[in-house]
Amino acid sequence: MSSKKVPPHRTANPDFSALKEMVHHHIQSFDYMIDFGLETMVKKIKPIEVFEPVLNKKLRIWLGSPEVYAPQKDSGKTNAATLYPFECRQARFSYDGKLMMDVFFQYDGGTAIREKTHFGQLPIMLMSNKCTLRNADPKKLVSLKEEASEAGGYFILNGLERVVRLLILQKRNYPMSMVRSSFRDRREGHTDKAVVIRCVREDQSAVTVKLYYLSNGSARLGFWALGKEYMLPVGLVLKALADTTDQEIYVSLTCCYNEKYERVKGSVGTQLVGERVKIILDEVRDLSLITHKQCLQHIGKHFKQIMRGMDNESHSVVGDAVLRDYILVHLDDNRDKFNLLIFMLQKLFSLVDQTSVPDNPDALQNQEVLLPGHLITIYLKEKLEEWLLKAAKELRDVINSDKKNFEFMKIHDVKKILQRSSSKLIGTAIDSMLKTGRLVTRISIDLPQNAGMTVQADRLNLLRFLSHFRAVHRGASVAGLRTTSVRKLLPESWGFICPVHTPDGEPCGLLNHMTSCCRITSFYDSGGNLKDFFKMRKSILTILIGVGMIPSWPRLVKSALPEVFSVLLDGCVVGTISSNIVEKAVTHLRRLKLSANSMIPDDLEVGYVPLSIGGTYPGLYLFTCPSRFVRPTKNLLPPSTESNNIELIGPFEQVYMEIQCPDGGDGGRKDLGPATHEEIHPTGILSMVANLTPWSDHNQSPRNMYQCQMGKQTMGFASQALNCRADQKLYHLQTPQTPLVRTGTYEKYGIDEFPLGTNAIVAVLAYSGYDMEDAMVLNKSSVDRGMCHGHIYQTESIDLADKRKADRKTQMFKRDGKSSKSLIDSDGLPHVGQTIRPDEPYCNIYDADTSRTRSQKLKGTEPAIVDYVAVDVKNKKHLQKVNIRFRRQRNPVIGDKFSSRHGQKGVCSQLWQDVDMPFSGVTGMRPDLIINPHAFPSRMTIAMLLESMAAKGGCLHGKFVDATPFSGSLKKTDEKKASESDTLVDELGSKLTALGFNYHGVEVLYSGVYGTELTCEIFIGPVYYQRLRHMVSDKYQVRSRGRVDPLTRQPVQGRKLGGGIRFGEMERDSLLAHGAAYLLHDRLHLSSDHHIADVCSICGSILTTSVAQPQKRIVREIAGIPPGRDPKKVACVACKTSKGMETVAMPYVFRYLAAELASMNIKLTLQLKNEAGA
Amino acid sequence: MDGIASYQRFPTVKIRELKDDYAKFELRNTDASIANALRRVMISEVPTVAIDLVEIEINSTVLNDEFLAHRLGLVPLTSERAMSMRFSRDCDACDGDGQCEFCSVEFHLRAKCIGDQTLDVTSKDLYSSDHTVVPVDFSDASGYENSEQRGIIIVKLRRGQELKLRAIARKGIGKDHAKWSPAATVTFMYEPAIHINQEMMESLTLDEKQSFVDSSPTKVFEIDDETHQVKIVDSEAYAYDEEVLKKAEAMGKPGLVEIYAKEDSFIFTVESTGAVKASQLVLNAIDILKQKLDAVRLSEDTVEADDQFGELGAHMRGG
Repeated sequence: MSSKKVPPHRTANPDFSALKEMVHHHIQSFDYMIDFGLETMVKKIKPIEVFEPVLNKKLRIWLGSPEVYAPQKDSGKTNAATLYPFECRQARFSYDGKLMMDVFFQYDGGTAIREKTHFGQLPIMLMSNKCTLRNADPKKLVSLKEEASEAGGYFILNGLERVVRLLILQKRNYPMSMVRSSFRDRREGHTDKAVVIRCVREDQSAVTVKLYYLSNGSARLGFWALGKEYMLPVGLVLKALADTTDQEIYVSLTCCYNEKYERVKGSVGTQLVGERVKIILDEVRDLSLITHKQCLQHIGKHFKQIMRGMDNESHSVVGDAVLRDYILVHLDDNRDKFNLLIFMLQKLFSLVDQTSVPDNPDALQNQEVLLPGHLITIYLKEKLEEWLLKAAKELRDVINSDKKNFEFMKIHDVKKILQRSSSKLIGTAIDSMLKTGRLVTRISIDLPQNAGMTVQADRLNLLRFLSHFRAVHRGASVAGLRTTSVRKLLPESWGFICPVHTPDGEPCGLLNHMTSCCRITSFYDSGGNLKDFFKMRKSILTILIGVGMIPSWPRLVKSALPEVFSVLLDGCVVGTISSNIVEKAVTHLRRLKLSANSMIPDDLEVGYVPLSIGGTYPGLYLFTCPSRFVRPTKNLLPPSTESNNIELIGPFEQVYMEIQCPDGGDGGRKDLGPATHEEIHPTGILSMVANLTPWSDHNQSPRNMYQCQMGKQTMGFASQALNCRADQKLYHLQTPQTPLVRTGTYEKYGIDEFPLGTNAIVAVLAYSGYDMEDAMVLNKSSVDRGMCHGHIYQTESIDLADKRKADRKTQMFKRDGKSSKSLIDSDGLPHVGQTIRPDEPYCNIYDADTSRTRSQKLKGTEPAIVDYVAVDVKNKKHLQKVNIRFRRQRNPVIGDKFSSRHGQKGVCSQLWQDVDMPFSGVTGMRPDLIINPHAFPSRMTIAMLLESMAAKGGCLHGKFVDATPFSGSLKKTDEKKASESDTLVDELGSKLTALGFNYHGVEVLYSGVYGTELTCEIFIGPVYYQRLRHMVSDKYQVRSRGRVDPLTRQPVQGRKLGGGIRFGEMERDSLLAHGAAYLLHDRLHLSSDHHIADVCSICGSILTTSVAQPQKRIVREIAGIPPGRDPKKVACVACKTSKGMETVAMPYVFRYLAAELASMNIKLTLQLKNEAGA
Repeated sequence: MDGIASYQRFPTVKIRELKDDYAKFELRNTDASIANALRRVMISEVPTVAIDLVEIEINSTVLNDEFLAHRLGLVPLTSERAMSMRFSRDCDACDGDGQCEFCSVEFHLRAKCIGDQTLDVTSKDLYSSDHTVVPVDFSDASGYENSEQRGIIIVKLRRGQELKLRAIARKGIGKDHAKWSPAATVTFMYEPAIHINQEMMESLTLDEKQSFVDSSPTKVFEIDDETHQVKIVDSEAYAYDEEVLKKAEAMGKPGLVEIYAKEDSFIFTVESTGAVKASQLVLNAIDILKQKLDAVRLSEDTVEADDQFGELGAHMRGG
């Protein structure tokens, strides 16, 4: 550890590249979608065909050449001005660009006619290549009213910033063996075992195929189509895929069993395989399907209804389409599909025979992530297909109904029909999907959930904002599970998912965060050029063949594990490689990954699963696809002189790799062979937020988790462009400071631009008891001088425009003349800088229809200051849209919450004057804050003590202290350093003694009240404290009388309505136990629904009483006697007399109960007794 | 009279060091309660004048109104006159609204940036209506430190930004708000009495002596170059950290040194914010202490006091 000299002032041109790297995966995926993804997707959409029987003409309609325009104002006009994000935020509309596409019409194979069509407004991600802010330097960004460090990655919808949530999905194109009891319930005869593969097409849409094992030894291929799962006998599919013989199928399946290798490491086959294959083949024969053609026709016959728009095709064509659209869709060639299916069957049999273990779907090894660009592409495809099909249906209906003003051959008429469901709604659908996070789909699009796809990017502080982009969620379906296994922290996620940064409580372990060095692969390489996957795969193949792989085509040998490994490249069985040379091949591939000029991508995942006894199914799995997790490590193989030795590795391959820590040790490896890779820095396993905790390696781990939570709830510097923002609520710390003790990450990401706390002098002592139970005493004088002062900015948006009557402007801002002149200016809006107290008006609105003026009143219980008034200048004559930003001062008061950076939160219990605080006799120093020593023993936040000592030494020496965790586990390069500093405490302590302070950071303090020396030495020093956003002013709840529920007459609930706090059963019990009868009566009756009811003692009813006609009171009033309470004449309607009327106090709900019971024909009667003294 | 010794003492003050904003003195022949009372009064009850009311006319700066008002309040103003001023709450002349010559001082500030250079608005831009109450001038007579000569920065302006305000300073005490506290730091410590057991010390080797001397983080002891004796250099540097005692214990020589605090003498350090001179601060504090005691002292005409308090009453009446 060394104290690093950091320039006190930030550099003139700060580089925010590290910050931008954090959100890169969002932007890259969106960029790809705009540049190429839409094109690819549109190509994959099937054309629709409409047949006109009278003219005997066929119309074919398809889509093409999608184009997205940069956001513009008034997109209707031709050369409209650019729309800027800040305008969207202020005016509360969406940052979106026009989506244009060509619709092609073709009659009977004639020339295609293209029609440019508007498909609505597509939301544009900030900083994507359609965004105006792209490539703007910090200066430009500031001039466009953005942060200098703006990184983008989110959408602006109705003025709100929303981020697409990264969802965990099953790893694409990798057959996973699974054991799930739910498989058993699918159909009769199914077992709980299956091999599942999620196949992803080029356009990112996916179809999951499951290969179920049946108890009779056969297997079924299941896939979902139109919301139903269909099962096909695997033999049928195999035969339909390739024109082969039963012999070939038999051989290729049974080759994995060889008597010679029984019980040898890596042998997966057993004798039973042969039996099963026979059953599979017999099944097909029983259906009397022999040939390839027959199988295809059989499939086609059964799926004709499902395959839309293929009613007139032959069975075999339909069969082909089924195979193409639903079975192993990531492959184009049926022969490849056949090979993969064979591989899957072998894996399934191995799972059944327990020669391999099932893959864990909860492990990161078998997972990838859903990126925003992909989500939008998938959803857009679904919507476009829907639109086309709807159009086809409309066209057919029109043709059948024989409409007069419709001519089939006129494009114009056809277009009209097409626009019956407006194409612009497609943009709206995407917009509302991003707005609400809900997918509205009729047919499933193979995503684990259809709600909660987006979240609002809360700009409470930088940490919270950035965390939204780094968070990965397991999905809502998993959240409902009772089991906790999915929430477990698995070793597979080492280096990719932060073990510390996950919330505690309900989403614990489901909402994870990527580590600071974790990236996500995309369609672009490191240079920003589009990857050519076809070329890449081809060159990988050539290299593999060069190393000794036998390609699967042409088929020569029929051998299998453990002699040869199957090689799968992006889910395609490309060949086999002998087990003798496979390791050499892997090493060779890794070397090529590093070299820049080979065609091998640097993020290629070389998943080599070695032979084992009953382990994971062995094979060589190569992945080049996007949306995988990758992280950099150091490859030790090339000589260290070579500059580029950073290799990107994925979670799949990591499990089988030898990676050592950079501490110079062997990591307990001993005889497992030397490590091939090395971690770059141990802090790489932590997320950015977790990395900011100083010396987190000295803390108890849950405390670091709490800090990750609290760091995201801290009031800080939310935005530098505060004056240009119109957020609903923004917290702002008036005078934040940079921490004295900080980690390397702090400077890397330039957190100084958005600081989050104050260096407070903290004394650890029990002083007066006001610091018990995590309460803390603040120094009032420090607070007076500005410590932890803050503001809340709230924006009220008032839009008078009536959506229904767009042209008529009946409402306007206008002062009503008399009442509120001091508060409201002549334009009906408040003065800037004006203090407005609760229930005072802040703007007047005049309604021309009713010619009345109404005013908006300030809600809440605290005064606010008008900070800024923004008006919409588009319509200068009739001002319709206004943003009024209020500012509320929030200086620390008793009850506000604070926390250090070590999960040590506390509530301010007293604000004490300077003179009452203990003081140091030598320096005269008084603490800003007192915490209780009991906060430490059970929580073991040693780093907080270290921070206090280090900060004390640091500020005395005038230096910042580097507190990067795990720096001790780095290789000690220079001998001097290794010998000199043995422990961290020693180093910190010697710094203190050098300046005449105590080695342990303690000082002798004197009582501020008595002036006497405190009996023990007090640990005191500066600790960075955060002010959390939970403040009493937002939470306190008081009520004496107020609103009641009209039905039960009990107090209403909720702070906003001025309601009460429930005095519940347990509270009642405690009062009972104390015998506090009067208080009990007061709380539960008098302060609640006290009611005096008239009861008829004759019939015992409380419902049949009614007030008799009031008698004339005039006589009494003339007499000058005040009209005192007349004895009410109450009579029982049932008994027709007022004789037996009595008044009884009771809760009003009792009367309500009686009424409810009466509605069910149950009579409730009271028996009244007057026992004296009772 | 041996048994009933008089407890009356006559505290003495000996000034050691006196600068405008710094004072160091000894207070002897009294106890901690008096010393602490003095300290507390100096920090929180000696009145000063500070800006308390700000009327902002134009503010187009980056800081909001409350922020500016808070910053203005913290600017120390010369408050020699504060003792004779009235608190605005009990000012008869202005009915307590605090806008008269007896209880308040008016300030004006007007600044506008017209150039491309950032303009610093400092405490020097505050124009006072009363020449006795002005922002404290921190500039050195020698003109040594340039940055401080420009006063305390209130806000920085860029082109086109403007600040115009009227501020009213009032008398107040640090108890109400820290801005009225005239003391940056007031602290005292007991004077330590250190006795070295030279006999035992001589039994140590030179190295042991050296390590004993080094064990104190502050420089209290020293080894004489000639006699190789451990001697006390600065007993007041001792911070009661007991490091040397622990060291002696660890060396197996308990009682090598004896240190105890003299219960009746204190060394005070006073640092002023500049509002009042440090020496004046001490005097003012003593005045206020006296006033407080006067309030306790019973009035002469209370007859019952004799019955109620007996001799104590007589004593308090000054008998």
